[in-house]
Amino acid sequence: MSDILQSISQAVIDGDLNEIGELTEDALDDGNSAETILNEGLMPGMDYVGVEFRAGRMFVPEVLRSARAMQTAMDILRPLLIADNVQMVGKIILGTVKGDLHDIGKNLVGMMAEGAGFEIKDLGKNVDPDTFVNAVKEYEPDIIGMSALLTTTMRSMEHTIKALEEAGLRDRVKVMIGGAPVTQDFANKIGADGYASNASSAVELAKQFVGAA
Amino acid sequence: MRTNYRVHSGTRFQLLSPDQLQELFDGVLHVLETIGLEVHHEEARAILKEAGAWVDGLRVRIPSYIVKDALQKAPRSFTIFARDGNPAHDIHIGPGRAHFGPGPTPPNFIDIDTLERRPYVRDDAAIVAKVCDALPNIDFVESLGTISDVHPDLAASYEFATMFPNTSKPIVAWSYDKDDAEDIHRIAVAEAGGQEAFELRPNYVHYCEPRSPLVSTEEALNKLIFAARHRVPVIFTPCPLAGGTAPITAAGIIIQAAAESWMGLVVAQHVRPGTPFFMGGVLSVMDMKDMILAYGAPELSLMMAGITELAHFAGLPLWQTGGCTDSKILDEQAAIEGSLSVFFSALTAGDLCHDVGYTESGMTGSILQTVMMNEAIGYARRITRGIEVNEETLAVEVINNVGPNGHYLREPHTRRHYKSEFWYPKLMDRRNYEEWEAMGGSRMRERVIAFTHDILASHQPSPVKPETLHTIEQVLADAEARVRESA
Repeated sequence: MSDILQSISQAVIDGDLNEIGELTEDALDDGNSAETILNEGLMPGMDYVGVEFRAGRMFVPEVLRSARAMQTAMDILRPLLIADNVQMVGKIILGTVKGDLHDIGKNLVGMMAEGAGFEIKDLGKNVDPDTFVNAVKEYEPDIIGMSALLTTTMRSMEHTIKALEEAGLRDRVKVMIGGAPVTQDFANKIGADGYASNASSAVELAKQFVGAA
Repeated sequence: MRTNYRVHSGTRFQLLSPDQLQELFDGVLHVLETIGLEVHHEEARAILKEAGAWVDGLRVRIPSYIVKDALQKAPRSFTIFARDGNPAHDIHIGPGRAHFGPGPTPPNFIDIDTLERRPYVRDDAAIVAKVCDALPNIDFVESLGTISDVHPDLAASYEFATMFPNTSKPIVAWSYDKDDAEDIHRIAVAEAGGQEAFELRPNYVHYCEPRSPLVSTEEALNKLIFAARHRVPVIFTPCPLAGGTAPITAAGIIIQAAAESWMGLVVAQHVRPGTPFFMGGVLSVMDMKDMILAYGAPELSLMMAGITELAHFAGLPLWQTGGCTDSKILDEQAAIEGSLSVFFSALTAGDLCHDVGYTESGMTGSILQTVMMNEAIGYARRITRGIEVNEETLAVEVINNVGPNGHYLREPHTRRHYKSEFWYPKLMDRRNYEEWEAMGGSRMRERVIAFTHDILASHQPSPVKPETLHTIEQVLADAEARVRESA
């Protein structure tokens, strides 16, 4: 690996927002393709962060800092990747379901997924089934992620899945769900494609869905 | 700029009022002056007589001005140094500082492989020292046992010789008498680079135990006088049993124990003014049903808090007790008794809290209990560290920046403080059920055992100087010759 790509990995690991943009520009100037910078600079850095986080040696604020560094570089690379017709990791629509205003867990999933290279469209909280359906039409995501904290609101996940079926969109997206009261059993029952018990396993699951794991 | 503003930099705790402490203090002076103690040591009696005490046969009574003079000579603050110069392993004794470590001399040990109770052997001393060296919340080291597989007179010498190379944290050493106290001192001095260097940077503490009620034994005084002459920081700690060898009331046992300890204080400060001195003792109840000295009793923690406050009132550091249990195994009882006593001890800021790892009422040492308590001490220390209040911690600007509906996960303020504001457990499990189950669904005791083995497999204590290893061999050879000659 060239020095500049290694520096980019390190800047991601350190969450170095001051350096990452300039390093990315330098790497392009050196003749590296956007795809090379993504796959050999940014991703190895985030992979390392993921390993350290799971081992308990890095903590959420550090991971989010790294994710932001990754995003800063991606803002530069994204138009080039699209122009080069490079397959991106994937696109996820996220939302806390109707009736529920608890979004810290959903936000965490979004930030960590961005760090893994996903493009995130966050619909916010109190998102009703129709809004999810319209967003699927508009953004054509690979995955929808729904979150709920309350046992009373988690049933709205089932309504969203039904709405997707009725709109004929169900087989175009993977549906993953999470939140404190949500379980794998519940996911199976309502016909979701997957469940994750925390933010980092949600990202792992999303990677599996898009074949990037 | 703040002015006339009071800061509590930790959690405040006070058991006794100034009036109550003065009454206890006067009670100790009264016992020493009017009742006195038996002093089974001719030289000590001569020292005390010269100091102005009344000596009547074995009985010694000390006028209160002499006790006050000794209190004035003894330092409240001093440092016990790591043998390898690692400042992280130094112990700074002084107000508001609590330190933790194991205890001395149980006959049995919990084998860390079979988990069975068996006699303590020499290899256990190396295990205990090495594990304590690695535990972040253990500050000083004791052996948790009496070595059974060497000549009985040499158990303490072998213990120190075995532990010293396996930890650079200060060791609290015990010995039977003066000969083995000398063995220990030779090893420590070799590492320090001579007696004078040792006096400037003492690297161990010596432990002496007089007998309750009201007896200063010959062995305890031999060791105390040896320590004072060589300026070894010294602990003089009786182990009275409320209702057995001391009054059943907390105030009564406190003043008796203090009088027993201060007899040693007066001797030490007359032998060598300024000798760093830790007041004892270990105060607990004689359980009136099971006839044991209860190490898991709430009265132990309560009486220890009382005597700690008395020691601090008098200007002395205290030899605290906690992290111990009457349970026979690493179970829920051990966790409850150990954790609560650790927390209570931490609140008192008792200076050296020992017996972290005592089980079965002091009959069995368990390094597994120590490892579990390392976690409880971390928990307690987070609480006693208290709440910091200033503009940065009030975070008004951050609250404004985030506003309604935002989140703090990405704020620089969060990144600045998440490591210092939160305590992160090592062995306590906080994962969600699925992850916990996927990782094997372990119990706390299984994690404690696995972590202990991990430390032993991976931790490398900093080595002693090569010449110290040579001294250790020589000291043990000389000690063996000594016991052969006396046989």
